[in-house]
Parts: sequence; C-alpha cells; structure tokens
Amino acid sequence: MTTMTSPFLFPDTVAQADKLAIVHLRRDLQIPTILKEHDEDDEGYAEGKVVNTRFGSFPHKTLIGKSWGSQILASKVDTGSRGRRDQKSAKKQKKDNAEGPGNKRQQYEESTSETPRKKLRAEDGTPVEVAIDDTSVAKEESDAVAAQSGFVHLLAPTPENWTSSLPHRTQVVYTPDYSYVLHRLKVRPGAQIIEVGAGSGSFTHASARAVFHGYPGSEEVNGSATKRRKLGKVWSYEFHEQRHEKLQKEIEEHGLDGIVEITHRDVCENGFLVNGESPEAEAIFLDLPAPWLALPHLVRSKAAPFVSPLNPSATVHLCTFSPCIEQVQKTMSVMRQLGWVDIEMVAIAHKRFEIRRERIGIDNGSQRGLQSTPASVDEALQRLLEVEGNFKVFHENGTKVPKQKDNTNPNNRAKIIENLVEKKVYKEGKLVHRTEPEVKNHTSYLTFAILPQEWTAEDEARVCAELPIVARKGDCEVAMSSRAMRKAAAKAVREKAEAAKSRRAVAQPVISNDDTKGSKTQQRT
Amino acid sequence: MDNLVTPGSWVVLRLPSDQTKVLQIAKTNTISLGKIGTFASNRLLFRPYNLTYELLDRKGGDKDSDLRIVPASELHEDILVEEAAALLPENAGPSEIVAGDGVEFQLLGENGEVIMRSNRETIDDSARQTLTMEEIETLKKEGTSAGKDLIAKLMLSHTGLEEKTSFSLAKYKLLKTKKYLKRFTVLPLDVAMLTQRMVEQKDASKVLEIREEMLSLIGSWSNIHFSADPIPKARSGRWLVVDETGGLLVAAMAERMGILHQGYTPPEPKRSPQEEAGEELKDLKIFKELDDDINHTTDIQLATSNTLTMVHTNAQPNLSLLSYFNYHPNSPTDRSSREHPLAQRLHTLSWLQLVSPSQDTTYANPPSPLTSEELQSMKSGKRGTYYRKQRRYRKIKQIVDTTHAGGFDGLAVAASMDPISILRHLVPLLRGGASIAVYSSTIESLVKLADLYSTSRRTAFIQSPPAELQGLSSEETARWQGNEDFPLNPTLLLNVSVQSARVNEWQVLPGRTHPLMTARGGAEGYLLTGVRVFPAEGKVEARGKFLKRKGGREYSCWTTDSGAEGQEREVAYEME
Repeated sequence: MTTMTSPFLFPDTVAQADKLAIVHLRRDLQIPTILKEHDEDDEGYAEGKVVNTRFGSFPHKTLIGKSWGSQILASKVDTGSRGRRDQKSAKKQKKDNAEGPGNKRQQYEESTSETPRKKLRAEDGTPVEVAIDDTSVAKEESDAVAAQSGFVHLLAPTPENWTSSLPHRTQVVYTPDYSYVLHRLKVRPGAQIIEVGAGSGSFTHASARAVFHGYPGSEEVNGSATKRRKLGKVWSYEFHEQRHEKLQKEIEEHGLDGIVEITHRDVCENGFLVNGESPEAEAIFLDLPAPWLALPHLVRSKAAPFVSPLNPSATVHLCTFSPCIEQVQKTMSVMRQLGWVDIEMVAIAHKRFEIRRERIGIDNGSQRGLQSTPASVDEALQRLLEVEGNFKVFHENGTKVPKQKDNTNPNNRAKIIENLVEKKVYKEGKLVHRTEPEVKNHTSYLTFAILPQEWTAEDEARVCAELPIVARKGDCEVAMSSRAMRKAAAKAVREKAEAAKSRRAVAQPVISNDDTKGSKTQQRT
Repeated sequence: MDNLVTPGSWVVLRLPSDQTKVLQIAKTNTISLGKIGTFASNRLLFRPYNLTYELLDRKGGDKDSDLRIVPASELHEDILVEEAAALLPENAGPSEIVAGDGVEFQLLGENGEVIMRSNRETIDDSARQTLTMEEIETLKKEGTSAGKDLIAKLMLSHTGLEEKTSFSLAKYKLLKTKKYLKRFTVLPLDVAMLTQRMVEQKDASKVLEIREEMLSLIGSWSNIHFSADPIPKARSGRWLVVDETGGLLVAAMAERMGILHQGYTPPEPKRSPQEEAGEELKDLKIFKELDDDINHTTDIQLATSNTLTMVHTNAQPNLSLLSYFNYHPNSPTDRSSREHPLAQRLHTLSWLQLVSPSQDTTYANPPSPLTSEELQSMKSGKRGTYYRKQRRYRKIKQIVDTTHAGGFDGLAVAASMDPISILRHLVPLLRGGASIAVYSSTIESLVKLADLYSTSRRTAFIQSPPAELQGLSSEETARWQGNEDFPLNPTLLLNVSVQSARVNEWQVLPGRTHPLMTARGGAEGYLLTGVRVFPAEGKVEARGKFLKRKGGREYSCWTTDSGAEGQEREVAYEME
C-alpha cells in the first residue's frame, strides 16, 4: 500500500526511498529529487546517490528515513575522482542523459551545482585519460562523513514547492493563479477535470491534489466500502511529445498515476475522448494558444457519432488562461456563440513582501543594513556642532582633531555576532514592509464561463408531472412601492401568527417532513 | 453537492442588478422577489442550477408568475447581434477618423455616414426622458413581457437617443435592463458564493473581509486536501484551524477535504423561528429529542484522518455560517447535523481546553459512572442527561488528548487575535514539513510576526540560546513559551514570507474592453506562509557565497534583515 501512495498526498512522517523529496536551500532555490538507496544510475560517488548543491553534497542515505522538515548537514563527498573514470563510458552516460527523458532529475541537480566532470577538465585543461575499472568504483558504497559546513532542509513535496522547484519546460501556472482557478472551477474531491496544455505540470499537480478522493481500488481496503465515493481524476492533454513523455514519467515517479491521465494529443484537432471514453468532466482548464479552437469539442450534444466529453448531469465550469487580450476577445466571442453563460474575465495581481528593519543613524559605525545618515534633526545638529567644534580647534590651535577611526572591518564575523548577540540589532530600527523587487506584473488573463446542464422540454414535462404546481388564485399587487411591500410583509407575519395559533388549537404539533406545512412564504434571506 | 435543486438546500437567486437573495428552498412554497414578482418554488425544484429564468406575465386570476428558461443565445442577444453586424461588408471599417476636440472624435464610414458619434453635442441632462414617473409606474404594473416592453419604451421615449454614442447607448440600455428586467439566475450556495455575498452584500468585517482569492490561497498554502488514509487507523490528514470568520474558513477547508457537501440529503427545513413561538410546542419538541438521545447512547465516532481541529475563543465555537450547509454544531441533537460528514471530522476545542485542560470543567471533571441499578431508578429525562454528559466528556477527552499528541499536517489561521500568541501554542503541535498559512486583513500583525522569524534573530538565537533552554530536549525547546527577545522560537519555521493577491475584473465587449471602473476597497488581505522544521542538533555552519576581500581572507556574508534580500545571502552560524 505504501509503495503506491504519493508523497504529495500522504507524505508520511519521514522521507522514504524511491519517493520524491524537496531539498530546500532557499525559498526560491529548492531541488526536487527522488531518493534512492543505491546509485542505480552509476554516477560513481563512493557514498551512493548524492545531491550536489552549492551548499554542499548530500548523499541520499543521509536523507532517507529523516523526518520531514529536518535540517540536514552536508557530507564530505569526493566529487573529483569519479571523473577519472573511463572517458568513453562517461561520455556515453552523458549522451544517455541528454537523450533519455528519464534523466531529467539528474539534469536539474546538475544545473544547480558545478558538475565534477567540468571542474576536472578545467583544472587539467585536457580530458584525462585514466582507465579505472568501472565496477569497482560504483559498487562499493561507503558511509557518509559529515562535512564542516553546509546544510539544507528536507521537505515533503507539495504542489506549492513543486511549482517553485520544477524543471521549467513552459511558462508555469503559479500558485495564486491555480489556487483561484481551482476555486472558481469548483474542483473538489471526486471531480473530473480536463487540463489542456499540461506544460511543466504545476497545474497538473495542484489539480491532482484538489480532485483526489482516494486511489482507484482503495475503497475496499478502506473498511467503509459501503459508501462508494466518486474518485476524482485529472484528464490532462499535451500536444508536445517530449513534454508529454517527461510529464508522464513525473506522474509515475510521484505516485499520481490513476489520479492523472495524460494523453499526447492536439485537442483542437482530435477532441477529448480517451480510448473512446468520455472524461465526463465538470471542470475544464485550457492553457493553449487558441482556446477558441478547442471550444467546439466542448459541447453538450451534437450529431450521433459525437460523444460529449462533459458530464451530462452537472454544470460545467471552464477557465481559459491566455496572456493576450486578443485571445480573450476571440475566446469570449466563441463562448457566447456556443451557449456559455456567466462569462467573466479577471486578472490576478500578486505581490510578495519584503519585511525588514530599517536602521538609520550615524552613531553605530558602518554596519550592514544600516543607512549612515542622521536619524533626526537633533542628530544632524549634533554632528554639525561637532564639526563646528573641530573647525574652531583647528583655527585656534592649528592642529587637527585626530579622527577616531576604527580600522577593523565592521563586517567581520566576530563583530557581526557581537552585534547580534550583545547589541541585539535584530530588535533595532523601524520594522517596515515593501513589495519585493521583482513583481510578476501579468501572468495571464483568466476567462471563466459556465455551461449549465442541458434541460429539454421533456425534462421539464417530467418534473412538472412529478411535482405539480399548485396555482394560488386571487389578485395580488405585484409591482408595489417599498412602503407597500413593508405593509404587505407585516400583514403576512400577522396572518402567519394567526394561522399558527389556530393550528395549535386544532391539531397536535407535527414534526415531520410532510408537505402540507410548506404553504408559508419564505422570507429568509 | 447535488447537481439539481433539491428541497432543503440553500440556493441563491441572482437578479439582473447583481443583487442576490439567499433562501432555503422547500416544496410547494412561494418565493417572492419583491417588486419583480412571486412564483412557486416547485418551478425551480429538481431543475439544474445556473439556469436563468424570466417571470412571465401573470395569467388572469393567478397570484404567481409562471417561469420561462431563458436560453443562452437570448442572454447574449445584444452582443451577438453587434458582432454579426461588425462582420457585414458594408460596415467593413471606418475610412477616416475626424478628430474633434481632445479625445472626442467621430468615425465616418465610406459614404460619409456617421458610424460612431462623438459626445460633443450631447446635453448632460438627466431630464431627457419624456415618460413621466406615473407613466413608468403604470407600465411597470402592466408588467408585460418581463420588463422588455418597458425598456424598449423607455429607450424610444428618450429624446436624446440618436445623439448618444454607441458607448453611452449600451450603457443606458444596461442601466435600464438592470432596473426593470424580470429575470433571475439560480445558483448553488457554496463557499465561493457565500464569500462573495458576505464581502459584497453583508457585513464584510464579520468574515475579516476575506476575499475569494485569499481564501483559495490559504487553502493552497496550508496544503489542505482530501486525505482519508488508505491504511485504517493511521493518523494522517489532520489540520488545525483557527477561525474567527464565523465558520467561513472552516467551510472552505472542509470543501477542499470533501466533507462539506457529500451526497447527503438534508430533511425538509425546520419551521421558521416565528413558528416555534408556542412554549408548549417547544417543550414537546425537547421531550422528543430527549427520547432520541436515549436511543442514541452510542457516541459519534470521531474520525482519525481527514479531520479539521478547530481551536475557538469562546466556550462554544462560532460556526454560524455552517448552517448554510445544514450543519449546526451547537445543537448536537439535530439529526441532520449528526449525520453530516462534519460531525465526525470537525473537532472543536477551546483555547482553555488546549492550553490548560485541567482548568476546564468539562475535561477535568468526568461525570461519575452510575451502576445500571441506579440508572434504572432514574427518570428517563435524568437518564438522558446522564448519557449526554458521558458522551460530551468522552468526546472532549478524545479531542483534547489527540490534539495534545500533535503531529498535525498543517495550520490555517484567519483571526483578529494576535497571530504571535496563536503560533506560540500551535506550531509545536505540527509535524515536520507541515505548512502554515496565517491570514490577516491588515499587514501590520503579519509584519511583526515575520520579524520574529528574521534571519538575524534566528542567528542570534542559535549563537546564544536563552539561558532557560539549557539542557532541554528538542521537544521541550519546541514547546518553549518564549521570552522578551525571542517571543517565539525562531528556529521552528522556515520560509516565512508575506504575500497578497487581488483579482481585477475586466469588461470584455466588442470594442469596449477595459478593467472595471470601480472595485471594492477595504482591507487588502495578507497571508503569511511558512513551513515547520526541526533544527539540527549540534554544530551547524552554513556554506555560501564566500567573498574574497583584501588580503585574501575569507569570510562569509552576514545579513541582518529578513525577506528576500536576507535569503539571497547565506548565513553562517554555529552552535556552541
């Protein structure tokens, strides 16, 4: 059971082998990695599989079994000598990496760290031709030895940290956008959502979390097999072959197969059916250049061979994600023609804030984070007077007042620690906030629309027969002034009270679900 | 959630003016829309949501109007006609733009006919409508074809109509449509709808002015999702909530967990409060419920996974908005509430029960068990009370004990209380890697909170930990209550950052696309997010960008501020 669960959905308390973990260096620098007990790709480290970061090397065996959120210290890893393997095999491996879609993880690990191989070449100038027996290096894995410095935090994957760490293949749908979209599309556990243009997979992961309502086949194990829940599913489409393959592999590695079904398809041409099966979706997210070309496939009923990909007995919510206003205008025009209602377009402005202490003053010496200008008029006056005094001394005595200059670097380690611990500079200054230097000013326009369930004259006739309408006779003022309405409302309350009184006198109070008492007017708002 | 309107469910009727009316719909009832008219509730029941209806003219002698479903093509009629006209060859495009004064201009067609009028000649006078008030009132009363006639007459009687530009013409028609058209749309009442309504039409301060985009961000950043563990009895998928929005946050989180509406049909709505006036009636009802109680000697089985644990300020939680989802937590005898998925999965406890359970009467004083003989001799009413007390005690004991055991997967806060005091008690209860999202309508409290986790404060804490922490285990250090310099243990949260999001709505019409001219002001709404971490024990030193300066001496960059810049540079610290 544990092997099939996704760390996104059931992270467990500790990091497990063969599952995704996020190695956290900084807020905007996180490295996703699949933890492996052994070096299956044969990368040649003595410690087995290793994550190399700019803050040190972290053999996977120092990560597996650790609680999520643990601070992990770096290990001493010999990143140099493994390059001295047979160049042929190294080259071959590199070629494999480039070709094989599966080695994506390794690629992004390397992109954040200097590859040992490169280093070696830089040192020697020419490729080294040292033949070392390949197997002897790879098979013996030694224990990790703690390094003197460097650490990371080990985090369980979430769609949020995945979004900020995933390998970018296309423009990513960021957290503020996908949160709002999933909210507006009413994507809840058990929903079927169509996602077109899976791209880098950030929206895919977020919607998998939103629709998740149990794994296929898990209902029986659960003990409450009596209550069959509807299981949610993400029907994802990607027309770019490599992206599709990579995403497919990611989904498998992340334990999300069964929840996400990815199809390599251009939906504008070929529609939404998967092996002839309709997704029966009630939510749709279109992130593609021409959403209006996909819309004609997203209709309720058409001539016979057409099978609608929509859930016939639910309202369908749609969102298109387009960066340009022209795309929105075209999309909306087609939406209106195809009978979508409540069409609305919004853009989301998102900001992150920098919170810091602003320390202004001249008496603190030069320190980091300090603006060395007078903090107030008084301080300016004090300084001016000091200068005036020095001038006076110079004119009267002809001698300069010796400057008391502290030659030690104010930014050295001991000084900073002293400032922190003794002077408590973290409490000094004015606490301020401002927008972070980089703002995502525009991601895309979000166009929302709704397609209500189809309701035919036959449906209407059927319900009318089941639940007849009892016509109330008599003349009633419909259009009336607010004053007249207040009067009428007061009258209705009086009548109701009287009716209740008489009912109480006549009959026993009935607490049941019968329909007879329903004749009162609902005035609740 | 049902796809059809069912009796007992709460629905929203949206009028052309964008005003909404919320009501619990019942069978064979009358629904009044004020001056627009009345109609039978059976006209809406068992039909799909999101349909737009038009009130037809009342037939002779009938009190209520009949309804007609308005097809989408009719809803978009104006725009579709306009778009079609734009495609016709004779209107292929203006050949010339004659500039007037400033921004005013006229568009002339090929034959010199005016396509787009400028507003130079228009007279800014509202009194250009020739229909008098009385005439409009009579027309309204006649009320033919759902107000469309009236709107047409109004347009025709406007003397300045031909002087209007197409922009102002469209605006004028929209204005009159909103006022007189007898249409409404039936919408389901869900969290999104409720949020919108609370913020726009009701008292926004009651829900801390929380907007939809912020509510959805809280959900994402606290990582709340359905998580009933496939392995029975395992404790997983448990979230902590502090909600001072009357239950809106709890409802939003429950919706994400799939426990707010779940294929569950509530009974017919109870009688309205006015009807419950009679005292005898009430007594009878209570007796009946007591009888029910005796039959229900079994406890509600509290779930161990996919749960929300809410810590509340008053003796009873304020979850009044959950009544829109047919859950009434403060009347446990209510049958529909007992059967609601929230009954098993929403656990509530007060701050007193969390922080100092020994001082809580319910928790500290278990009712003394009675023998079966003693019970036999009791009156049925007393026996019912005894069972109820027993159940209440068992429930609160289980909730308090499991909460103290900790290991929660996340924390979502939307409160006006000081967030520092909230985190002091709740952060230690989170598992490693748990996500935290704290909402506040204003930024100041979050700025203060984020400052307590600043890089420099954390460095100082690690460099010289407070004396009282000497010799404490890491577990005890996590539960440390803080001192003046370090009100919270700054090493327990990682990635503390503050953000805000805002949705801007646009008008998209052929040739008239722009952001809406007005929007709601008020509280912006901010969110602080973070991750619960465990600091490593022993010597920790960072590696980072080492800068070489004069003399080739290496030293690491230090930072004294938090936020992005602080995280840009690497911090080195060591523990003695």
